[in-house]
Order: sequence, then C-alpha cells, then structure tokens
Amino acid sequence: MSIRFEQVSKSFGSKRVLDGVSFEVERGEILFILGRSGMGKSVTLKQMIGLLKPDSGHIYVDHQDVTQLDENQLARVRQKCGMVFQHPALLDSLTVYENIAFGLKTVQFIRSAGGALPEEEIKRRVIEKLALVHLGPEILDRLPSELSYGMQKRVSLARTLAPNPSYLLFDEPTTGLDPITTNAVNDLIHDLSRKLQVTSLVVSHDMACALKIADRILVLDHGKILAHTSNELLKLSQEPLIQDFLSETLALLPPEERFDSLAGVRQ
Amino acid sequence: MMAFFQELGATSLFFVRVVRTLFSTQGNFQPILAQIAFVSYRSLSTVLFAGVFVGAILVLQIDLILAKYDAEIFLGGLNTSTVIREVGPLIISFLLAGKIGAFTAAELGTMRVTEQIDAIECLGTNPIHYLVVPRLFGIILSSLILLFLGLLISVGGAMAVAWFACGINTLEFASSIPKFVSVSTFFAALFKALIYGAIVATVSCHRGFTASGGARGVGQAVTQAAIYTNLYILFANFGITHLLDLAEKLTQSALGVSP
Ligand SMILES: Nc1ncnc2c1ncn2[C@@H]1O[C@H](COP(=O)(O)OP(=O)(O)OP(=O)(O)O)[C@@H](O)[C@H]1O
Ligand SMILES: [Mg+2]
Repeated sequence: MSIRFEQVSKSFGSKRVLDGVSFEVERGEILFILGRSGMGKSVTLKQMIGLLKPDSGHIYVDHQDVTQLDENQLARVRQKCGMVFQHPALLDSLTVYENIAFGLKTVQFIRSAGGALPEEEIKRRVIEKLALVHLGPEILDRLPSELSYGMQKRVSLARTLAPNPSYLLFDEPTTGLDPITTNAVNDLIHDLSRKLQVTSLVVSHDMACALKIADRILVLDHGKILAHTSNELLKLSQEPLIQDFLSETLALLPPEERFDSLAGVRQ
Repeated sequence: MMAFFQELGATSLFFVRVVRTLFSTQGNFQPILAQIAFVSYRSLSTVLFAGVFVGAILVLQIDLILAKYDAEIFLGGLNTSTVIREVGPLIISFLLAGKIGAFTAAELGTMRVTEQIDAIECLGTNPIHYLVVPRLFGIILSSLILLFLGLLISVGGAMAVAWFACGINTLEFASSIPKFVSVSTFFAALFKALIYGAIVATVSCHRGFTASGGARGVGQAVTQAAIYTNLYILFANFGITHLLDLAEKLTQSALGVSP
C-alpha cells in the first residue's frame, strides 16, 4: 500500500515540466509538495490517477503501474483515490447534495461496495462528510453558484471524502480559506492519516503546516526535486527559493516560536 | 490547409470515440431525450422566425425571375424545392451552430478548464458517457425535428407572400409543388440535416471537451467551433449535393426514365 514515482518525466511541447522525478510515500503517510507556481505540482498529482500520462517513467500505486493500465483497470485505481482539485470543480448543474452523492452512485462504486447504497445511507454520509468540513445540512439543496468560493472548496472536499478513499490527493486544499477553516482542514488531513491510515499527497504553499504535519516534504523546482525530507529542506535553507518560503512562514510566527518550529520538525 | 485536415481527422476520431462509448455502456436514453427537449425548446423560436423569412425572401426572388418567362405557375414548386433541398437545411444548421453549438462548446469548455471533467473522471464516471453522448445525439436528433418544423413554416411563409405580393393563390402555389418535390427530395433534406447536425454537434463537443487555458481557452474553443462548423458544413454541402445528384441520375437511368 504505497505510492512510488520512478524517474517520471513530462513535457508539454518543448517545455519540460518534470525531469526524472522519483519519490515514495508509505501507507498512512502525509507528503507535502511545495514549489512555486507552474512547477508541475498539479501535473504530478494528475499523473498519479492517470489524468495525464508521463512521457517516461513509472508510477506505482499499490504495486500497479498506472502508466500501463487500460481504462477499466485505471477506473479501479481511481476508486481507491480521491482528488481535491485546485478549482472547486463542482458540477454546476447539480445541487450540493447531488455533488457529494455523485461518487456514491457510480457504477464503479456500486460494484466495489457490493451493491447500491440505500438513499438514507447516502444522505447520512453526505451530511457526515459535510460536517467534517464545518458545513451544515442547510446548504444541501443549493447550487454551487449560490455558495462562496471557500464553501465551494469545502463541498468539493466533502465530495472527495464521501466514497472513503484510501489515497487522498489534495491540490491546494486550503488556498482561499480563512485561517480557522484552514486549520480545521489541516487537522482533518492529519486525523485521516493517523486514525484511518489514509495516505495523503498535499500540494500546498503553507510551509508552516507542512513542517507541522508532513511526514515527507517534496520541493519541486524546474522539474527536479530539491528536497525530500524536512531535514533536507532545512539544510537547503540557504537556497533563495526555500528561504523565501521559510522567511515568509516564520515571519508569521512570534519570535520565540520560530526556533521551536524549526527544531520540532520530524525526521 | 494542413491544420484543416488535422482538425478534420481529430474531430472524426472524437466522433468515433463517442459512438463507441454509446454502444459500450448500457443505454440510458433519458439524458438524450432531456437534451433533445432542451435544444429544440431553445432554438424553436429562432428556427421558426428564420424559416418564415427564408421562404418569403426566396419567393420574391424566384417570382422576379419566373415573371420574365411568364412561368409563375411554377413558383410554388420551385420555391419549395429550393427550400427543402438547399436553403432549409443550410440555414437551420447555421442557426444551430450559432445557438446550440456555441453554447455547448462554451459549456463543455468551462467544465474542462475548471477541472469539472477531471473531477467526473476521478469519481469513476466516464465523462464522454455522462456529458458528451447526451449532448451530441441530442443535437443531431433535434436538428431533424427543427428542420421539419422549419421547412413546414417556411413553405407556409412562402405561400402567404406569394398570395399577397405576387398574386398567386395558395391552391395554384400548392398544385405545382408535386412537379418539383417528391418523397426523395424530402429524404435528401433529412439526410443533409442529419449530416450537418452531426457536424455542429461533433465539432462543438470536441472543441469544448478539449479546451485548455482558462477563460481565454474557452473563448478560443467557441470561436474555433463556429469557424470549423461552418467550413465543414459548406464542404459537406458540396459533397452531398454532388452525391445526391449522382444517385438520382443513376436511379433514373436504372429505371429507364429520362429526367
Ligand atoms: N494540459 C496542459 N497542456 C499544456 N501545458 C500544461 C498543461 N497542464 C500544465 N501545463 C503546464 O505545465 C506547467 C506546470 O503546471 P502545473 O499546473 O502542474 O503547475 P503548478 O505547480 O500546479 O502551479 P500552481 O501553483 O500555479 O497551480 C505549467 O507551466 C503549465 O503551463
Ligand atoms: Mg496547480
């Protein structure tokens, strides 16, 4: 139960986005992917569930090479994965309820669950997942266009959680959320990994959170990995890119906590 | 020129993919019916409005020419034949391209760039089956319905104008129709509408579905869908007219009837 990238390269036209990227994530771990805009973070996530195909290299999910699978096998891998997109990506002709229940009514889900769920069970799950992202059942009948951006983003999170996937891919889950909800979402990611052994890949700009909850950290820059672990990251702290990230994060903390947060890093 | 054929190839492959999806998944025709209702309802007024005027304008033009040769008794037949054979299918498909084609390209394009299509795929549903199949076949089938209604009203409009402006009464107008129009003319029109409808549907779905690059990309998808749809329709029009002519001559010579 792990994810492994082996020498993955991807170009768009003449633009090389990933250049021989390799890394590994074990079951129940949290990996944070950091990097500036346009450095291929979203592309990395999309390749893992076969939305994009790498030009070369292999990506193993549970020892299955997703780059070699046909549509049906890929659908089965996707059933185990949930992805929270950078956009809220809610279907705008469906209500909040229908959006969250979408993944519970697909042929693929019904097959893996051994039968269709009764409507009350679906409703119970929808409300439960909505509560996890601090939203109440009163918005169930609204359309996505009637929600604020932050609410849409959280509904999208609830939709991804609904089928209880064992891998979660988050593309900037907290961008655009207020600090309180941001903390709640980060705690949620942490809880899912510790209590339910969910493996999470999180694309984020939130270095403080990465240092707090990540088991591994990946810094992508110009197609290469700059750092694998928090320790490596700190060794690189002279690099201008990392410094920018760190200084911005540390500047937010009171001075006496800056040292602690650097020292308290795992690994 | 190269780009034109590349585009044509990509669009045809897309069409094949959608048809394969239709047959490989268990049929659920309700979304297609809903789409037919939606498309027909949205375009009905435009098509009827245009239909009346196409009939009316043509009748004036043809009357002008026929009057020179004192052959106004043929007005009804010539007018109806021209509308059914050429102008009707062409105008209606251009209108559909502007109204439904643009709408579909924009809708699917927006869904693509806001990652809605990726999300559907991730949640274990084939987006071609869920989004494209109903839209594509909905547009094709409603173009047949709209063509039928459009032709009907256009002949009506022509009759009215013939009566008021050219002094040909409805009976005279109608009596010459069978001389020029037969069941095969009508099938030719349906065949054209089917092909043009398929072009409008496929190009706009394909462009929208493969859009990329934010709001700008959606804008581009819509413009390109419009341009390519119109080009392909003209292209197909030439081909089909030629083909139908040939078919007619062949059947006539086979039956030993001289045209
Ligand atoms: N479908 C695509 N077609 C062409 N180019 C693409 C495509 N998807 C991504 N790219 C390019 O790949 C590069 C990396 O994109 P990606 O979306 O992974 O960036 P990112 O690291 O997620 O950035 P951000 O933080 O802004 O989301 C960008 O330069 C982008 O232009
Ligand atoms: Mg991104």
